[in-house]
Order: sequence, then structure tokens, then C-alpha cells
Amino acid sequence: MQNNEETLDELENRLAQLRRALRLAMVERDAARVAQLRQQLHRAESLWEDKAAAEQPVSAADASDASAPAPVSPDAPVSEPALAALLPTREQVHQTLSLLEVPAAPKLITAVHEAFFPGELPASRLASLRRDEERSYRSAPNARPYYLCPALTADRLAPARALLTVSTWPLERRIMGAHSPRVDFLTTATKIASALISYSQLGPRWTPDAQTRAERLLRSFAVSIPGALGPPTLAGHVPALDPDQVGDAAKAELSVHLEVDRRQRSEAATWARDRLSEAERLFGNRLASVRNSASAD
Amino acid sequence: MSSLAALARLHATRQGRAERLRQVRHHHLVDEPLVLVILTMAGEAAAPLACMVGTGRRQSTLLTVTQPRNRDQRRAFYAQLAAVILPHIRRRENTLQQLPARPGKPPRQRCADAPQIIVANHATVDYLSLVGRSIRFQGPPNTTETDPSIALLGRWLTFFAERAEYPGSSMLLPLTAQLAAHWATGQSILEDESLSKLLAWIEPPAGLTGVQAALRSENPVLFPPAGPATDPTFDAVELEPRMITHQQALASGDHLTAARTATELQDALASQLRPTWNQVWDGLALLRAIPQAARSVRRWEDDRDHFTSHSLHITRGGAPQPVHDQAVDAARRLARLERAIHMFEDEQALDDPFVLAERRTVGTAFAGVVVAREPDRQVTSAKGRRILRPRFTIRTEDPPPIARDQDLVDPERPRTIVRVREVLPEQQDMHLITVEVTAGMGSVSRPAADAVPELDELVCYTAWPSQWGAAEFPSREQTPWTHTGPSAPQTFTDLSEAEQT
Amino acid sequence: MNTTTTRLNALRGGQPPVNHNARTLVGLSVNPGCARRALLDACGADKGTVARQAGHPWQFGQSRFALARGNAFEQQVKEYGGARLLALLRESLDLPVEQVAYIPLKSVGDSTGREQRYRQTCRALVGAARGGPDPGTLYDHPMLRLNVGGNDVYLEPDLIAFKIGDRFYIVEIKSFPVIDRQANGAQVAAATRQASIYVIALQDLFATNGLDPELVATSVFLVTPKDFGNTPIATLVDARKQISMLNRQLARMDRIDILLDLLPSGLTFDLAVDTTGVPTRPAANLAADLRRIPARYRPECMAHCELAGLCRDEARQNASLDVYGQGVVDIFGGVDTTHTALALAEGRQPSDDQAGVARTLRHAERLRAALAEGAA
Repeated sequence: MQNNEETLDELENRLAQLRRALRLAMVERDAARVAQLRQQLHRAESLWEDKAAAEQPVSAADASDASAPAPVSPDAPVSEPALAALLPTREQVHQTLSLLEVPAAPKLITAVHEAFFPGELPASRLASLRRDEERSYRSAPNARPYYLCPALTADRLAPARALLTVSTWPLERRIMGAHSPRVDFLTTATKIASALISYSQLGPRWTPDAQTRAERLLRSFAVSIPGALGPPTLAGHVPALDPDQVGDAAKAELSVHLEVDRRQRSEAATWARDRLSEAERLFGNRLASVRNSASAD
Repeated sequence: MSSLAALARLHATRQGRAERLRQVRHHHLVDEPLVLVILTMAGEAAAPLACMVGTGRRQSTLLTVTQPRNRDQRRAFYAQLAAVILPHIRRRENTLQQLPARPGKPPRQRCADAPQIIVANHATVDYLSLVGRSIRFQGPPNTTETDPSIALLGRWLTFFAERAEYPGSSMLLPLTAQLAAHWATGQSILEDESLSKLLAWIEPPAGLTGVQAALRSENPVLFPPAGPATDPTFDAVELEPRMITHQQALASGDHLTAARTATELQDALASQLRPTWNQVWDGLALLRAIPQAARSVRRWEDDRDHFTSHSLHITRGGAPQPVHDQAVDAARRLARLERAIHMFEDEQALDDPFVLAERRTVGTAFAGVVVAREPDRQVTSAKGRRILRPRFTIRTEDPPPIARDQDLVDPERPRTIVRVREVLPEQQDMHLITVEVTAGMGSVSRPAADAVPELDELVCYTAWPSQWGAAEFPSREQTPWTHTGPSAPQTFTDLSEAEQT
Repeated sequence: MNTTTTRLNALRGGQPPVNHNARTLVGLSVNPGCARRALLDACGADKGTVARQAGHPWQFGQSRFALARGNAFEQQVKEYGGARLLALLRESLDLPVEQVAYIPLKSVGDSTGREQRYRQTCRALVGAARGGPDPGTLYDHPMLRLNVGGNDVYLEPDLIAFKIGDRFYIVEIKSFPVIDRQANGAQVAAATRQASIYVIALQDLFATNGLDPELVATSVFLVTPKDFGNTPIATLVDARKQISMLNRQLARMDRIDILLDLLPSGLTFDLAVDTTGVPTRPAANLAADLRRIPARYRPECMAHCELAGLCRDEARQNASLDVYGQGVVDIFGGVDTTHTALALAEGRQPSDDQAGVARTLRHAERLRAALAEGAA
């Protein structure tokens, strides 16, 4: 029944039938049939894609796939757009992390990049980055000036979930103790605040769209920092955002946590320097040995 | 539930189809109701996916959203919905008439017609209330949230949702409640909340019993839910993949794919709405076939009064309904609802022998034959005057009346009011009830001829509908805004009781 | 205990046991009088598959959109070391500004094994309770464990917060909105029951480690979006009632052998799965075994139990008044079936204990007949 003579219309009918059958099987809780129909549907959809593409060869956007250079953002500044857009993903991430100077998750990297740098950096493109970097390092150690590495957990020096760092940073900064998420959060707020202040002096090179995004990002940090936002004005109106005030408030709370966080991070770093190879220091300890707490079981 | 209604459910099961529970229809139906079927995105508080709206089975407007989480699309949807609903309301507002003064009442204004919205079920009423709450306040000036038509739509939806809570009001009717009031099915009250299962019992397809038809209509693929919630398998198979493709196509500038998936989404959503749309019109036709109760005319006037005063409130620049339901207002509202419930129930009993019979099973009405009478009985009033107070005694097999200090009336002789004076158990299951005529008996010199029924005559007494003598509360529109608040659906839990943080 | 486990395993048959979670444990308390459900749950049978194989598939589930929204909201509340949550706790409970430690327990290194995570959680929480050097404030995705009817059930709360007034608080993050300080009552109740299971499991953890179970607060934090947006708000909900109700139900699961003793021998829910993984047990045969265990069907089961379709069908076949719901059952108290009720209504001589209800039925039937005549 899946012959190649099927017209696009016939195929569409079959797709509709498959979807209906799939839903009926889901209602019947028939797991085996659901799996089978999902496969059939998937095959028919691919077939449809091929046929549709064949019938409309002019579909221009099909050319762009994940490995191709990012399309130029309409928001990119007028000057040097092509150059900025052609920056490889790892360099875009490096650029962003260098602004933040703390470990960051893909979502934050994307948001900061979007606010302060030209070109696009979808979070989906960060997914494979860590693996690629490690592979590159292992095939030719230290061939590159820097690597993008995971942050390390203080207790096991294992790779921390989702957090990216730069290999050239001091090890202390790349390690996550119990207080580090808060310290890094507050640090991030100060960095975004000062970036916002200096970028707003750039004039037209920084687009209003990007500025709005930067302000929205800073505000999302400010709501969780005591004293970072002014009092609400009228009912329903959001309090004004003052980057200086956010930065000062973040620094004020930072002073409370810095000492204990520094102690925890440097203890772990010392331990890491004593016990781990360079590769392990960069990409994390995969053996599940627990520091400090081997006696607990 | 009365034992009569409960028994009717058993008969419905035995006969394989629903059994009528009412002789007349107690809600008004306008010639041109606005039917609204709406679907919402699961997991979101109020993010409409699509709706079908219109005044005729073949006069529908379909509105869809390709990404309900997107604020701008949501507002575009509301603006389109406002463009359908507001002109419909406006045409009724234009029927404003001047009513002449009546004794005790100054001249006033009332719209000759009022809008009526029909939805599938109670969940849709609650949903419209939420939508009303989410859009009735205008955003800050000069933003995208300033569109006055959206805020106005929100105010009207809030108004309709509040009226829907009011017993006897016909401004916003959930069809399942209407059908379940008029027919007893052979299933549970919970199952009666499904429009397709109700209809399955009321008009089972040829060859199927009600229970078989209801079972068949439980399949959400064959019978899409009436909303606002969609079927999860629809979300998973039809909706989500297309939404994702659509978003990706938009992001990558692939306009062809974006347009195609938008059309597909629209078709998919229409396929979920259309069966319910047709069912609502089927259900409406069933209701229309039932003759209208006499007293529903007065209740519809009441609706038109409320509609008129809300319309004037808006025209005069009045504020939208506030968010907080203050304690005082909540108490007043409860009292008002309580009175409205009694009034509505009492009135239905006078209009409908089925309701009267239901009341006879629970002791709020009784019927029987007259076994003794004293038509000339006189007593001395507190002022020392001789007055006529006829009494008569009724033998009944009904459970004896519960309330004593209540005015009772026989629907067949509405000019005479009586009160229960004595209840005596007779033989098994029988009671002798002596009542005294307290109004409509005439005077000693000129007794009313038919105030006391003859011996062996069959009589039936039920509560006389009255406002219970309570002072009229100011209507919501005449109440200062500090004392009004929206009504929350009763299924909601007040979290402010807990330690709010 | 061993014999009970053996008997439960035999009852379940060849299929692997279904893992309980907070949701299924909460489900136990919805219809506590139902022996059928209690036994199927106790032996770890997959009720959905069993019902389907017996010819009555029953579907209720959450939309993927709802699940996605739930996950997104939880992530938002927890990102950056629970920054939003800290702000909420500081505002509402004066959490000292120094308390910010965030301890992720979602995995142990690369491992997400439940037992390993449970041990890690024990270490962290017991250490904190004993006044360890650096007690954390937010414990993200801890793994708890509870023994239910002889089997270990692993439970994963959204978050545990410590220390607030020297107590550990269960934090439950839900994406249903609280609009003008009001939320859907059913959703609040379900969230509170779920959090109560975590309270019980955490009390158990402390008791097992020689610590005072009172360390666990019996109020739980519900974090939900405010109005129509994404701004989280926290509400402290008193869960004592739910906790004691669930405790009673769990104790009942421990006495499951009383129910087992009543079962005829040879009864099993085995699906006779063949070598290709396809169940082959005939529907009628499986349904017959299911029906040998008394159920307590009520219409509310439709929203809670995968067996609802089967039990409703059975109730219908038996002409049980249960299909109409509690309202009808109460009115005709003392009569069990539609047949009996109609027969009494139409004049059959009642037994002594049916005299009252027969009077009600005959009276209603007389009225009904008169109406039919009047309408005709």
C-alpha cells in the first residue's frame, strides 16, 4: 500500500488515517500497536516530505540545516554583520562566557549572547558542544588555546549538569560548591548590569531590540535580589530598572557569601590538583568516588 | 435529588433511554442565541486554542491560534472574538426602551431584547469567567494591551459568567445543565456533565440503548470532548507536532511550510469543534421543543434589567468589575443567591406538575382530598375585630410538610393563600393536615365564593413564591465599587484562608 | 512477611511489578474500601494493562502540554540555584540571607540510580539534621524511600527546604494558577496529598536514622504561578489531615494478608505473556478472576482508577445502584439493585427492613404514573 505511485493527496489521506488509528490505539492503551503506528506514521511523514520537496523544488529555506552557518539575524548591527554571524559556535560561547566569567547553562548563554552580541546562538546548537570539545582535546591535547568544559561538582569533581566553563579559568571558578549557584547568580547579575551600562553608551551599534532583551534579562535577575528594584510605582506598573542599583544590591549580598564559597571551592580545587589528571580536571572525574563522605554508608 | 428524579433514572435504564423530568422549559430561549464552543490549551490558565461562535448552525465563525502561549496571538484572538460578540451585544443595547412609572416605581429604562450565550457545559462557563478576569482590565496606555474592545469583551464575559450563577437567569446557559434538568438519564450526575453522553441517552441512535450509545460516545477520537479541555491524544498526535513544525518554519523563514501547517492546525482544531457545535444545536432544538414556562417571562425581564443596567454602567464610564470579593459583598451575594434559589424553585413548582410532584416526595408540597371544611370560621383579631379565617382538612399520602410558617398556594387556585395549622398522623402512610386560609378569603360580610375547596375535592399545596419580605439589595451596578467583587466559581478553594506568603 | 510477598507475587503473575510513586500511593486513599484496587496495587499489578487485557481499557491522562508547562515552571522556579524560591522564602519566612546553599540530588555523579540517590539524600539530610558543619538550604530532587506492603517505593519530591525554624519543609511546585488568591480546589487537594506522602517518607527517613520525625513540618509549601503569568507565589498549606489519612491507608496496605486470606486459591492477574511479550490470557478468564474480588465502584472512580471501565460494566450487569452515584444510593438505602427498586416501586411485597424504602418507591412511582397520564 506504500507504493511510490501514491499521489500527494493519497498520501495525505493515509497520514490522516494513520493519525486517527494512532489515537484510537492510544485510547485503547494498546502499547504494541501505538509503537507500530508511530513507526508507520513516521515513515509516511518522511515520504510526504520527500514528495512535497520534489513537487516544490523552489522551497528556499530547505537549504539551511544545523551544520550550516547561522543565518544573519535581522537584529544584527549594520556594521560587520557577516563576520559576526560567521563566528563558530564555540567562539560565540567563549565570547559570552568571557563576559560572564562564571559557569553558565545553555539557556543563560543564549540569553546573554542575544542581548549583547550579534548573530544567533540557538540553545540547540550547544547540546553537542561539550562532547565535541572533549573529543577534540583527547585527540590532540592542548592544540587549541582554550576548551569549553563542564563545571565540576565540589563533592565528586564530576561534571556538573549543563554548566559550561572555559578551560583557561582558574580551577576554583570552575568548581561548584553548595553556595556557588547563588554566588554565580549574583555575579552574573553584576556582569549583566555593567555590560548594560557600558553598551548603552555604544549608541546605534547596539540595537533597541537587543537593549530591551538585556533589560528584560537583568530584570529577571533583579526580582530575586533584595533591594535590586525600586518600590512598585502605581498599581499594575512594574518598578523601574536601574542597572547601577541592581549591581550594587547584588554586590551587597555577594559580600555575605563570598568567603564561605571561596573556601569550599578552593578546598575542592586543591583536592583536584592533587588527585586528578589534567583531562579529568578539565572534563570531570567519572569515577563515582565521594570526597569527604566515604564513611556514610 | 428527589426520589422521583432518582426513580426516573432507574426507569431510564430499564427503558434504554432518558425519561422526561419536566413538562415545561423554565429558561427563556431567544430567537437568535449566540452559541460559543471554545477549546483551551492544556496546562495554561487561559490560553484559548480555538473557538466556534455564531447565531446559527450554518452561521459560524471559526477562530484559531497557532501558538496559544504567545501573548500577541492571544490578544489577536480576543480582538477577533470581540469583533463577533460585541456587535451582537450592541444590537441588543440599541433596543433600549423607556418604561412608564408604576405604583411605587419611577419610570425606568429596559432593553426590549438581551443577548443570550449558549455553551456546552459548566466547565466552559468557568472558563469564560477566567477569560473575563484575564482581559477585563486594560493594560498601561500606549502598549499592545490597550485595545479597548478586548477589555470590553472581558467585562461582558465577566457579567455573563456572574449571571450564570444566578438561579433562573438565562443569559449564559450551559447546555448540559439544561438537558440534565429536563431529562433523567440512566447514568451518574458526573457522566451527565458530558454533552455527548447526555445526548446519547436522550436520543440514542436507532438500534442502540442509551447505555450503549453513551459507552460509544466515551471514545474521544470518535466524539471529541466538548471543551474547553481537549483530548490528550489529540494534543499529542495532531496538535503538538504541527505546532512545533509551524514554529520552526516561522523561525527559519520557511513561509510555505508555515502557511501549510497553519492551515493544518486550523483544520485539526475545526475537526474537534464541529461535532460539539452540531451537538449544541441539536440540544438547543430539543429544548426548544419543550413549551416555555409562564413564569420564565418575568425572569427574563429580570435578566434584561440586569443587562440594561450593566450596559448603562459601561456607557456612563463605570469601572470594570474589581478582583477582590470582599467579605461583606460575599455574604450579601450568598444571601441573594439563596433567595433566588428559593424563588426559582417555588416558581417552577407552580408552572410544572413534574416539579410539584418532586416537591411532594420531599415534604415541600403535598396533595390530597378535602375531608372536612369550616368555610365560615371566624376569629377575633388582635385589634378586636371579627375576621374570616376559614379552615379545611386534607388527607394526604405524601410525606407531611416540613415548614409551618410558610404561605402555601394551590396552583389551580392561585388567589388563595393558606398556612398549615395542624398535622395529625392517621392510618399507615396517611396524614390529616388542617390549613387556614390567610389571604383571598374575602371578608365576613363578603366572603369569597371559591376560597375553600369542596369536600372530596383534590387539592395540592406548595410554597408561595415571594421575596421573603427582605429589602431589595442594590443591584451590583448600583453598588459602590468598594462593595462589589467578582464571584468565584464554587468549585474553587480560597487560598487566602491559608497562610498567604 | 515472606509468605505475604510470595502470595502477592503469585497474584501479580509473571509480569514485573509496577513501581508505585506518589501519585499511585495517593490514589490508594481515594477509594479506601475497594478490595480489588487494594490487592492489585499491593501486588504491583499494572492496572491499566490488566484492565485492557480483561476487555475494558480505560484512559485518563494528562496532556503533553500540561506536562511541558509543569516542567517549564518547575525549572523556572529552580534555576540559578533556586533564586526565585529563595526570594519567596526570604519574603515570607524571613529566611536569613546567609542561607543559600543549594544541593542538587537529582544524580550522583553520572548515576541516576534510585538506591544510590536515596543514600546520597540520607547522607545530606541526616547530616543536616544532626547539625553538620554546613547544612544546605535547598535540596533539589531528593530521593526518598517508603516501605509499602513489603515493597520499597521510591519517591521524589520537587524540593526539600531546610532549615526554616529548625524544620524541614516539603516544597511542591505545581503549574496550576492561583488567580486572585483562589485555586481549583481539586488541584490543591491533589497537590497537598502528594506532598503529604513525601512528608511521611521524610519522617520515616529520620525515624530510621534515630532522629525525631517531628523535624519534618506538617505544613507544606505549594509554589504556583500567580494569576495568568509566570510569577511564582508560595502558599503554606496545613497537611495534617491528609497525612493522617494516608498513614491509615498505608497501615492498611501492611495488613494486606487479611485480604489475601479471603481469596480463593489459584486466583491470579497473570497475563500469560508469550515469548514476544504479547499478553495471551483470554479476556473473559481474566475478568472472571478480577470479579472474584469485591470492588466498590462509584462514578468518582472514573477519574482515578484504570479499572473503572471494568467495574462500572460489572456494576451495570449486576444492575447495581452504584452506577448512579451516592445521591441515588442514599435515597434508596437498603435496596441494592435497579431490579429490586423497580419491583418494590411497582408493588412487590417488601421484606421487613425494606418497608421504609418501599414506601418511598411506591409513592414516587404513583406520582410518576399520574404525571405520565397527565402528560399523555
